Amino acid sequence: MAEEFNTESMLDLFLYESGQLLEKLEGIILEKQDADCFDDADINEIFRVMHTIKGSSGVLMYENITKVTHKLEDVFYYLRESHPDNVPHMELVEKVLAVSDFVTGELDKLKNGDTPDGDEKQLVEDLDVFLGRLKGEIKNQGIQMPQANKHVEPTQFYITPVAGDDSHFYRISIHYRSDTQMSNLRAYSATYALKEVAEDLLYTPDDILSNEASADVIVAEGFHMLLQTKSSKEEVIALIDSSEAEEINFDELTKEEYGKALSEFGREEAAMEAAPPAAAKDNGNKEAKKEGPKPGDYVVKTKEAGKGKTLAKNQPKQQSIISVNVEKMDALMDLIGELVIAEAVVLQNPDLKVPGLELSNFQKASGQLSKITTELQDVIMSMRMMPLTNTFQKMRRIVFDVSRKLGKDIELEVIGENTEVDKNIIEHITDPLMHLVRNSVDHGIEEDPADRTSVGKPSKGKITLEAKNEGGKVYISVKDDGKGLNRDKLYQKALDKGLIENKPISEFTDKEIFRFITLPGFSTKEEVTEYSGRGVGMDVVVKNIQSISGRLDISSVEFEGSEMTLVIPLTLAIINGIVVQVGNSPFVIETASIKEFVRVGEDSLISEPSGEEYIVLRGECYPFIRLNERYDLPDSVDKIEEGIIVVLEHEGSQVCVLIDKLLQEQEIVVKPIPPYVRKVKGLSGCTQLGDGSIALILDIAGLLMHDGERR
Amino acid sequence: MAEELLKKEETDEAEGLLEEDDSQKGMFMTFQIGKEFFGISISYVNEIIAMQPIAAIPEVDDYIKGLINLRGKIIPVIDVRVRFKMDPCEYTDRTCIIVIDVKSTMIGLIVERLADVDTIAEDSIAPPPSLGRKEHEHNKYVFGLARTGDRVTLLLDPEKLIKQDDIVAAMEEGRKEEQS
Repeated sequence: MAEEFNTESMLDLFLYESGQLLEKLEGIILEKQDADCFDDADINEIFRVMHTIKGSSGVLMYENITKVTHKLEDVFYYLRESHPDNVPHMELVEKVLAVSDFVTGELDKLKNGDTPDGDEKQLVEDLDVFLGRLKGEIKNQGIQMPQANKHVEPTQFYITPVAGDDSHFYRISIHYRSDTQMSNLRAYSATYALKEVAEDLLYTPDDILSNEASADVIVAEGFHMLLQTKSSKEEVIALIDSSEAEEINFDELTKEEYGKALSEFGREEAAMEAAPPAAAKDNGNKEAKKEGPKPGDYVVKTKEAGKGKTLAKNQPKQQSIISVNVEKMDALMDLIGELVIAEAVVLQNPDLKVPGLELSNFQKASGQLSKITTELQDVIMSMRMMPLTNTFQKMRRIVFDVSRKLGKDIELEVIGENTEVDKNIIEHITDPLMHLVRNSVDHGIEEDPADRTSVGKPSKGKITLEAKNEGGKVYISVKDDGKGLNRDKLYQKALDKGLIENKPISEFTDKEIFRFITLPGFSTKEEVTEYSGRGVGMDVVVKNIQSISGRLDISSVEFEGSEMTLVIPLTLAIINGIVVQVGNSPFVIETASIKEFVRVGEDSLISEPSGEEYIVLRGECYPFIRLNERYDLPDSVDKIEEGIIVVLEHEGSQVCVLIDKLLQEQEIVVKPIPPYVRKVKGLSGCTQLGDGSIALILDIAGLLMHDGERR
Repeated sequence: MAEELLKKEETDEAEGLLEEDDSQKGMFMTFQIGKEFFGISISYVNEIIAMQPIAAIPEVDDYIKGLINLRGKIIPVIDVRVRFKMDPCEYTDRTCIIVIDVKSTMIGLIVERLADVDTIAEDSIAPPPSLGRKEHEHNKYVFGLARTGDRVTLLLDPEKLIKQDDIVAAMEEGRKEEQS
């Protein structure tokens, strides 16, 4: 049945929803990891999450996911219904995380287009044992076990359709040959055929379509149906496809017998609970009359009630958010960029510059237009902003996992997780941040609590994850109160590995020495652990951060801890820039990196015999770059008095650049230079100006680096 | 998931091309550079636009003239004349840009003047003569010679024209950027 739907979009939806649910789940778990137990709301929520994933994975026939989530759902069902005391909370947390990891892993496989083939048996067994122990413990204490979930009178919820006097009742059992392929589909076709004549029809196993394993059950135990119909025996037999059937038992029953059989049926099924779970109610609904008792329905019933409650609670949230493909957002963003440019083309059209033209109405209208386009730009920008909450959530998980694995007692404090950052940037910082957090747990916090107490720190380690938004930049810092970085050790290590020149340690500042850990091939830990220590980490972190024009600051005090701060721009897509002209080409310089514009005379220029030039400004000497010479631009200003000097700053180093003239300041939509053109040092991208022409964006870091290399 | 979508789009496109191929088979966009006529399979051609202001990029090969703005898409343009190591010539109002799409990379080719769209039967395409001094040079971009009417058209392989290395490098670069 599922094949009839557009499975692709269903899969997308499933992946998206389940991903969201799992994130939520982890959030709850990690929040309560240190508590003694989950409260009712949490249990309900976890239950609901498992139930939803179970349902949707069942529809899509991902059996292993269904089984695992079903088991965990059972556990939480039990917790919810019987409120057992002394639940081993830590173990429960681990179990939930294990399930969440398993499902996440399977989802990843699906995302990559693989089949989810993870083996769920071990996990299901573990959960079974765990659940058994929970129940067992309680029994031992002589507390009455709640019966609600095991003992249900089928008649309680089954109302036999009114049978007419001429109705016949049959019990039909079909046994297929043991080598029958897809007996579940055959069984389904039988039910389908009978549905046409049936006043009532129920059958077991009931999840024949959604559960492929039911095929085995059918082969082994036969497929049983109870039918109430006005048709005669012969008509019914004619309807059933008997091609692969080994044996068809056909008993006509009286009304009373039928009623009895019905309840038997229900009981029998209840006893068969070990058989595949009631995966998809949806399928059930389509297959047979809604009231049909199905194995596990007693569970479904109570679940539905619970689900209804929570659903109602969450309804407004779900309605107000839709998920949009990022590509579409990017396309919208591009289009709005186009719109802004098109607007400029219209409003600054040379046709309007005819002298004596009466334009007051036009001006009014164009003012309105500009306002709307600006607002539109703001909205699309805000749409791309996402809080760091999810990213930080992942960090919680890492701290939890790694600290437990290493046997360290660590507390994580999270500050400012609601700070919003452009989505693209979030994607880029997750991995680096993960690395930093791991490093802090693994290397930062002392292994032996005694080492901590001896220097007057609490024995519990503390890691602070903080995000804040300041002046168009986002600062994300990972701070630990561990042993800090050791100057001498770092220096020695870098020297041993031949990463630095042979200079005495006194010639390096603290910052420079701390920076060693970001050099490729540097690792201070002797042993490589599962989590860190390969020395490939920090240089990759720095590279990733630089690729989004951010930077990594390291500060540390030995025995007191270290702090790694990522400084990243709020958004990549739009920067504030100043458009300048050199020769015939416009260039854009990011406003944030401009220190000042000055006009100086020839006397401020110092030329070395080698051709190097410097500018002296207020007694300070700056390197000097003539952009026209660097990039071979014709028709530009050569005399220093006629041009303008721009003083640029990047990470503490400054450079003066000679340009012809300033054009304007504006918001620049950054576009990459097509990859076909090889990367040019000193250029970070390009953009369209108001008149549709293209300007190149200067990359100060590249310019400085280039300058250094030339020397 | 985005990657999947992209992949899907690509295959869709490829399928589209295949379908188009039937009607476009043997059709070549021909243009003139110097005295020679060149042809390029029409399935590569996206559109033809008039000469536009080009933003020059410093420090690149001389045949890469720079970037143009094609309705918001920024695409590089190369001067085919310079690519063939001929002296550059003035751009006139007959000069135009053929926008081609090679393996999803959009590139503009500056050509002196457009000639025609010709249908060239496959059997009238001869491989380039393997004798001659410039054999190696020729084989680089010309995959066949076709005689149409009284003139000979050199058929170009656009993939080689924009230099295989460039594309490979570009793709690697793109992949790297995706990963990082």
